[in-house]
Amino acid sequence: MQQVFILGVNFSEQKLVSKALQSFYALGPRACERIMAKYTIYRLAKVGSLAPKTVTSLTAELSQMTLDSDARKIMQDNIRRLKDIGSLRGRRHAMGMPVRGQRTRTQTATAKKLNRLDRRN
Amino acid sequence: MASANSLRSLMRPSIPVAPRLYPIISSSFSTTTALSAVTGRAPKSSVVTSTKMKKNFKKGGGSTSAPMKKPNPGERKAFRKRIQLSNNSALAVEGVEVLKADTLAQSSSAGKMFSIPDEIIDQLRTLEAFKATQAWNLFRKPHFLARKEAVELGSRLENAAKKKEAEKIVLTGSKLSGKSLAVLQAISYALLNKWVVINIPEAQDLTNGNTDYAQIPNTEPAVYSQPVYVLRLLQTIYKANKAVLESLKVEKDWSLTGLQKGNSLAELILTCKESEFAWTTFNALWTELTLPGRPPVLFSLDGLSHISKLSQYRDPAFNLIHSHDLALVRTFVDALSGKTKLPNGGAVIASTSGNNMQFHPSQELVLAQLEAGQSGKPIPTPDPYEKNYDERVYESLKNTSVLRIEGINHDDTKTLMGYWAASGLLRNVVNNHTIREKWALAGNGNVGEMERVALLTMRM
Repeated sequence: MQQVFILGVNFSEQKLVSKALQSFYALGPRACERIMAKYTIYRLAKVGSLAPKTVTSLTAELSQMTLDSDARKIMQDNIRRLKDIGSLRGRRHAMGMPVRGQRTRTQTATAKKLNRLDRRN
Repeated sequence: MASANSLRSLMRPSIPVAPRLYPIISSSFSTTTALSAVTGRAPKSSVVTSTKMKKNFKKGGGSTSAPMKKPNPGERKAFRKRIQLSNNSALAVEGVEVLKADTLAQSSSAGKMFSIPDEIIDQLRTLEAFKATQAWNLFRKPHFLARKEAVELGSRLENAAKKKEAEKIVLTGSKLSGKSLAVLQAISYALLNKWVVINIPEAQDLTNGNTDYAQIPNTEPAVYSQPVYVLRLLQTIYKANKAVLESLKVEKDWSLTGLQKGNSLAELILTCKESEFAWTTFNALWTELTLPGRPPVLFSLDGLSHISKLSQYRDPAFNLIHSHDLALVRTFVDALSGKTKLPNGGAVIASTSGNNMQFHPSQELVLAQLEAGQSGKPIPTPDPYEKNYDERVYESLKNTSVLRIEGINHDDTKTLMGYWAASGLLRNVVNNHTIREKWALAGNGNVGEMERVALLTMRM
């Protein structure tokens, strides 16, 4: 099966362009819609149907954006800043507990999963 | 026996269900071998409950359901869209006239049944003039009733070809009243009279954003082409009009497409192999067809309201694209509004859709005004509080004439039900009582509703 490179990532030809774009961290449905409109890509387009020129300009477009590890770094920095100034939010992040005053008796699974200093997602 | 089999024709296609859902019937009179295996122990309920009822269901990975083959890509859509034009269980109807070139234009054919000749059935099928929602699959051969409006349509097409003018018609009417069938009748007339037919069977395919689009270079304001759709349309035009197009020679210079002088229009279409050049080729074909000395052209479209609104496509600045800025739609709209002249005569027919309708105030207004003008009634004025009026839609439709299609009268109903009864599909005796009953049940003779109350009443 043929592969297409967008921003250094290999995508199968069968993959929807919108899915491929949204696989990058910090690129959601809204940004994806705008990028696709910019290059007149219709919403059911598959990666394999893109012209090589479009793939190049998509890569150029994405390389201008703060995506993936850069975006993660910003978020982690924000959490670390909270921790460093000794705020409650920072401490709660470090403890892996809900940050915004939610109850902790039950239903803290999401907080336990996500709230940490080196948050990944 | 034919009568037993003909009941099968009324069965709705059912999606294969897991075998455990079928009730196990072990009646004493059943002789089916497959079922005889379970005789002796009468099942308590229709669903076999061998294990205890499960209390909680995990998501995914249900072990209880029988393994079923997943349909291949496109298989379900093909099943949904398939057109079945004959039914061997239905009786053949004798003594029905075959449609001829001038039949629909003669006032004497109003109120008669006609069979569609075999030579144009394939063409109609290619043009997707038959709809999956129409009841063709019940009858032995496709026939239609030439109602009053169809004959009017036919005679207007004949006049248009004689006078070398474009007949611009909007077909409207309530749900299931037969607007798409009127388009089919117009197409049949055109094919039999050796016109060139271009048909867009579903306007929503053009505007719902599900086919690819690209800006046409050097257009200001931007116009967008839909390469893949247009390529498919070109191939449809080629297949449906092959004989006519092969007899027409190219007149202008299209050497850019690799075409030589003296080639036919069919070859012009065939030069287009890639969707990249589809729009250029279509444009060339349309230009050639609108030169003087060509046969008349029928350009028809079903689902008018879909091309009156904003499409689902976005331009690079993220604004929604108006449907009239899509190149193919614009070609149609220009022909419909009279901006593009058809020097050889012909017709542009737009049909509204009853079930899949998008309300558009400008379209409603202009159609109401045209209809009032035609019947000499006071012309409705625009609503001063309505803000969604669209000047472009108003302009595109104001030069058309409206042909309203509603229920049929008692005499036509009698002919139609006689045909149904002759096909062995109507169990009642066709007398005045039945006719009036079905006619009234169907909301004053709406043909689709009449089919529902008379033919599709059986569920098996």
